Amino acid sequence: MPRRLNRRQTLLRHLLTTALPASIVLCAGAGALNADPTIGRSMNNYGLPGAIDTPSAEMLPDATLSATATRSKLTERVGLVFQLTPRLTTALRYGKFDSTEERRGYVRDRSFDLRFQVLDEVEGTWRPAVAVGIQDAIGTGFYSAEYIVATKTLSPRLRASAGLGWGRLAQGGGIGNPFGDRPGPDTGTGGSLNADTWFKGEVAPFASVAWSANDKLTLVAEYSGDEYACETGDADNCARSVWLSDSDPLKNHFNFGATYQLGQNYQVGAYVLGAKHVGVQFSLVTSPKRAAYPSGLEPAPAPVRPRPDRASDPDGWSGVWASDPTAQPAIQKALGDALADEGQRLESMVLTADRAEIRIRNERYIQHAEAVGRAARLMTRALPPSVETLVITSSEAGLPTSSVTLRRSDVERLENTEAGQIASAAALTDAEPRPAGLVMSPGEFPDFDWAIKPYLSTGLFDPDQPFRYEVGGEVTARYELRPGIVLQGSLRQRVFGNADQEAPGTYDVDEYLALSDAEITAQNNGVYRVRSDSRMYSGNDNLQVPRLTLNWYARPTQTTYSRVTVGMLERMYGGVSGELLWKPVNSQLALGAEVNRVRKRDYRNAFEFLDYEATTGHVSAYYEFGNGFRGRVDAGKYLAGDVGATVEISREFANGWEVGAFATKTDLSADEFGEGSFDKGISISIPLAWGTGQPSLRTVGGTLSSLNRDGGQRLSVQGRLYDTVRDSHSVRLYDGWGKFWR
Amino acid sequence: MNANTLRGTAALTALVALAACSSGGSNNDPSLVGVARQTLTQAVAQRGQAAEPAAPRDPAKMAATALSVNPGPLILVGLEGMGTTEVLAMTGQNGGMRTYMTPNEQAVILRGGMLVGTRGLGHDMSATDASQSAALIRAGQSGQARRTLRYYAADGTERPLPFTCTIGPGPKAGVTIESCEGNGISFQNNYAVSGGAISVSRQWGGPGLGYLTIQTLRP
Repeated sequence: MPRRLNRRQTLLRHLLTTALPASIVLCAGAGALNADPTIGRSMNNYGLPGAIDTPSAEMLPDATLSATATRSKLTERVGLVFQLTPRLTTALRYGKFDSTEERRGYVRDRSFDLRFQVLDEVEGTWRPAVAVGIQDAIGTGFYSAEYIVATKTLSPRLRASAGLGWGRLAQGGGIGNPFGDRPGPDTGTGGSLNADTWFKGEVAPFASVAWSANDKLTLVAEYSGDEYACETGDADNCARSVWLSDSDPLKNHFNFGATYQLGQNYQVGAYVLGAKHVGVQFSLVTSPKRAAYPSGLEPAPAPVRPRPDRASDPDGWSGVWASDPTAQPAIQKALGDALADEGQRLESMVLTADRAEIRIRNERYIQHAEAVGRAARLMTRALPPSVETLVITSSEAGLPTSSVTLRRSDVERLENTEAGQIASAAALTDAEPRPAGLVMSPGEFPDFDWAIKPYLSTGLFDPDQPFRYEVGGEVTARYELRPGIVLQGSLRQRVFGNADQEAPGTYDVDEYLALSDAEITAQNNGVYRVRSDSRMYSGNDNLQVPRLTLNWYARPTQTTYSRVTVGMLERMYGGVSGELLWKPVNSQLALGAEVNRVRKRDYRNAFEFLDYEATTGHVSAYYEFGNGFRGRVDAGKYLAGDVGATVEISREFANGWEVGAFATKTDLSADEFGEGSFDKGISISIPLAWGTGQPSLRTVGGTLSSLNRDGGQRLSVQGRLYDTVRDSHSVRLYDGWGKFWR
Repeated sequence: MNANTLRGTAALTALVALAACSSGGSNNDPSLVGVARQTLTQAVAQRGQAAEPAAPRDPAKMAATALSVNPGPLILVGLEGMGTTEVLAMTGQNGGMRTYMTPNEQAVILRGGMLVGTRGLGHDMSATDASQSAALIRAGQSGQARRTLRYYAADGTERPLPFTCTIGPGPKAGVTIESCEGNGISFQNNYAVSGGAISVSRQWGGPGLGYLTIQTLRP
């Protein structure tokens, strides 16, 4: 038992640390504390804090997510920047530049940056903030540069930065070559770390000043070594000849610009490069830590109803009511109706004279603790006074995933106090799989839900067709026979769109259809096209069945969960998928295994299959590090039969925001894999409730995977176990516990 | 480079929202149409108020109607930030704590007349322990008190704001002032006390919410 207590204490401490004062949120700009990183005011044209082409040592406020688009005659870029930790800025960017290697004459290239603030600025001393950064760390190397930079706040309005740059930042004005020559860029498939070039070659100084004329307008001037060599036809300084272009060269190394802040979320800017070229930029800045309605607009919960004293309700206190067979049905009905009003379903209930356990399905609140808190209050309103122990068991996909046990006296005593107090009075345990006396609520099962709505599916960042879309109508339906057994699916009818059926590579559709699997494989570096022909499924005017599955969820033991899914698992594959997950409720570690036997679906006909079959599966380890960070490793066999592993790291917030990055490396060689060498990408998930204030479990977002290739591809089955069970497990539940009394 | 795809539905909600319908019933997700409409209405309403402040109904009439219809305890609450005034009826009492709600289930929680929480206003105060202040105010005494105001932050956590407060008589007779300061934020609450109970007050609800004026219609 001491071990269990320790776990509780760790979790509580964790809970309490999430509730530190929010001085930075409230007093941003009003003289941040010395221990905080220096926060940037204006974005440079790479979307990070800085001047124009040169960086500064500034950071964005923690968890800020921003998107910046910039355009001049020399360059065109759009990028996402995420402040991963208070001192680490990450960026993913798409740039467009000329390349004679492409038949269209240009490439849209991905690049990835990191900036780390190593030293804090100390006010009132000479010490500046210092940061180290790497630009274009894994792309082709077109933008590759490394720097070390110092930034000092000279007055509340004036900041100066100076540093040393390598790579692009040292195309001109070099002062030496301290760490050896810089190798040429990776001319092959790209996508590996360019570590051998970092901090190599000529080094050049750069400097900038930024003056805030007022809260909105900032003027910047810089001296930069970036001469835009490739863009302006300077073959001697351009890393690869295929990138050469012929714009007019810059006249000098000085750039001038201005940025203007529009409200909290937008920034526009314009700049002049080397007295020759003019550019504009636009940034959109958001953060999970800012919302229009931070507490949500959902109605107030029904308040606690304290019990009458013993003298005024002797029968209720004695517990004799429990022997009346009509008591439980009446109570269960009343409680079920009240829960339904607050977005929850009462699936079943155990009721004795001194203890009540309810199984609830939360259909409304993204922070599960809010559902538990509301259920607890409703129990105080519905249950006779002799019931002292309240057990709220969460049900996900028909499985009891966790139980929160509360003393009713604590709920009465602690109503509307700091949420940490009720957290320390509550016990979180694995749910009893089949408690004695469990009574199903009548009419809950079988349960049928359906919806008809329009749909829009999109593809972005296609070099030939930047915005692909398809619009049509969709019917979704879900039939739950009994808890854990669900038949669900959707039907789609396309109406219009520009996402037409297209074959991969240089084939047209008919040529591609005429190829045998062996020919497809042979002409794709020996790898079958498991994903890269996904557009063969586009532009389908037949009735489509994106998914149609029978799912069976079960809980073989107290701490293990299982799933079997049969049917049309996803748009491209159908078959059988089985999964097992070990996840004790208070464990930060979870282990899982999944095996799938699938066949590729026909491009056009909903219920027909192609010849390609595959067995794919993984063993997985999941770990919650705390402070919202979690990691995951999957190792196994991917769809194309390649063997390897995927590593994923994400940062999530109590309100449901999540930003993650993943990389997959398999035993395919870089040549077999093709462009990009290995699969990688980022994912963003934003809860609708954060945006609108209306309570909802829905999220919007997506996965931006670097390239749609055939190596390292996984099946996209819905309802995987880990995400299904963890909302009601310790880390996630306690992270969101602050809304217990909301 | 080719075939970079963003699968997902970000920014497409407006279109998807058109003409969606469903079996409803147990599906408690608000429809996106509803969400959009509500957000829009609020934005419009908030902007409209500056132009025509005469729009709110007459508080005296509202109070009179409520008193004749509802036999229980009632309060009249004005939200200064939004320029709205509503009558709230008591829906729960737990010890000294009372929960009052508007007909559309927005709540103000008072403990002995001290504001200790709000619900459903978008920038809610989750809790505050104001017992030290309350004791001084009700006794009509001057002194120092500490209290921590907690509010719901956008990232889904409950955040504390610690304050040190000075309580003393105000310039007007019968009005006690509680001046609080902490973390670079300050606020000043006013309480009119009669017979040991707070009958009228102006209290700060936290960052984003601003001041509430609270008047007891029927104790």
